[in-house]
Amino acid sequence: MKHSYIDKYGDLNSLLHKLDPRAKVLAFGAALVFMISEPRGEVGVFVFYYVLIAAVALLSRIPLVYILKRCLMAAPFILAAAVLLPLSRLSPNVGKTGLFTRENLCLSLSLLLKAFGAVILLTLLVSSGKFNNLLRGLRRLHMPSLLGSMFALMYRYIFLLNDEMLKLKLARESRTPGKLRISRFKVYGNQAAMIFLRSWKRAQVVYHSMLARGYHGEFPEYGRLRFVWSDGFFLAGFPAVFAVIRIWC
Amino acid sequence: MHIADGIVSTEAVLAADAVTVGVLYLFGRKVEVSEVPKMGFMAAALFVASLIHFPMAGTSLHLGLFGLAGIILGLRAFPAVFAALFFQALIFQHGGLLSVGLNTLNMGAGALLGFFIWKLSAVPESLRALAAGFLGIMLPAFLLTMEFQLSGYGRSVFFILSIYLIAAAAEGILTLVVVGFFRKVEPSVLG
Repeated sequence: MKHSYIDKYGDLNSLLHKLDPRAKVLAFGAALVFMISEPRGEVGVFVFYYVLIAAVALLSRIPLVYILKRCLMAAPFILAAAVLLPLSRLSPNVGKTGLFTRENLCLSLSLLLKAFGAVILLTLLVSSGKFNNLLRGLRRLHMPSLLGSMFALMYRYIFLLNDEMLKLKLARESRTPGKLRISRFKVYGNQAAMIFLRSWKRAQVVYHSMLARGYHGEFPEYGRLRFVWSDGFFLAGFPAVFAVIRIWC
Repeated sequence: MHIADGIVSTEAVLAADAVTVGVLYLFGRKVEVSEVPKMGFMAAALFVASLIHFPMAGTSLHLGLFGLAGIILGLRAFPAVFAALFFQALIFQHGGLLSVGLNTLNMGAGALLGFFIWKLSAVPESLRALAAGFLGIMLPAFLLTMEFQLSGYGRSVFFILSIYLIAAAAEGILTLVVVGFFRKVEPSVLG
């Protein structure tokens, strides 16, 4: 079975990919806070943010089409919010001023730029390395051990569930080809329960094997993460530029 | 239903993150090592469920399974919902990274409500499953609209509730079927 939506570009050889995941998590997190805290209605300042984001995207070598696809996935909710915001400002005077005032357009545009900027930053953070390495970085940043263990197990179980789901889908399509029909809800419900149970049984086998190999709630780490000068430079520099834009522009 | 970064005010998002950390501590403390695989598995199931789309009324809806998570995990469903939303934000950009606390409060509340409904033993099991599935979606949708209204989006956001009515009804029926299947085949899965 093929699951390429995680780690698709994790193996690229770029400056961003070489950075320590801890430095990337902290730097991107701080940058995100500075950017989304821009007041509503601000538009011009996003030119600076987007130039910076574009520079990092170029450095990462992640294809632009992939980044745009990620934006498209988040688009429905963001677009709905951008439409709703000016609508909420409708007043009895709307007949005189109109809905498409400069102020309303700035509000919507500002929200779109802010939200899509955040999506691009997140895409760059996640796609510029192996997902497992990102989780490792989070664990090394003292994430609670419960969450660390849960994330690690969850990461394995996602593939397991996906495998079972694809197997059952293939089996169903080979017997009853065609589109899903709402009238067959009971069949789909039973299939969902079947996928859950079959995957759960496999997950338990995996877990018992882990216990037999000495698992006690903590995952052993192989190889050390190395925090070098370039990581420190990125961690200090990247959010600092965002802070400068936020404060002075 | 996933709030992206930049949609709600930064102050509200950071406050929600702080509250979520507190609730995660409350429901995540004293977890036995043996409980973690079930929590991790349910979180993975919540994540994968969001990939299953159903065609409906000219559009498509994806599953939430928050009520079912509450039925299976009880109070431990809250950390599982957080884990699923965190992964969804990172991998699919469903909801923002900073807004994950706010999204967890909304959808975790649905899972907790599902758990409390499931515990009402005086009510027939099928009705409890149906209500847990239905309200597991409607409560997060209601909280979402309230947060939008408080963030200055006006009353027009209440139309979101009407959209989620269809999704909640579908989820209620699905939860009913799934719980019925578990009861027949593997009752130990149900909390």
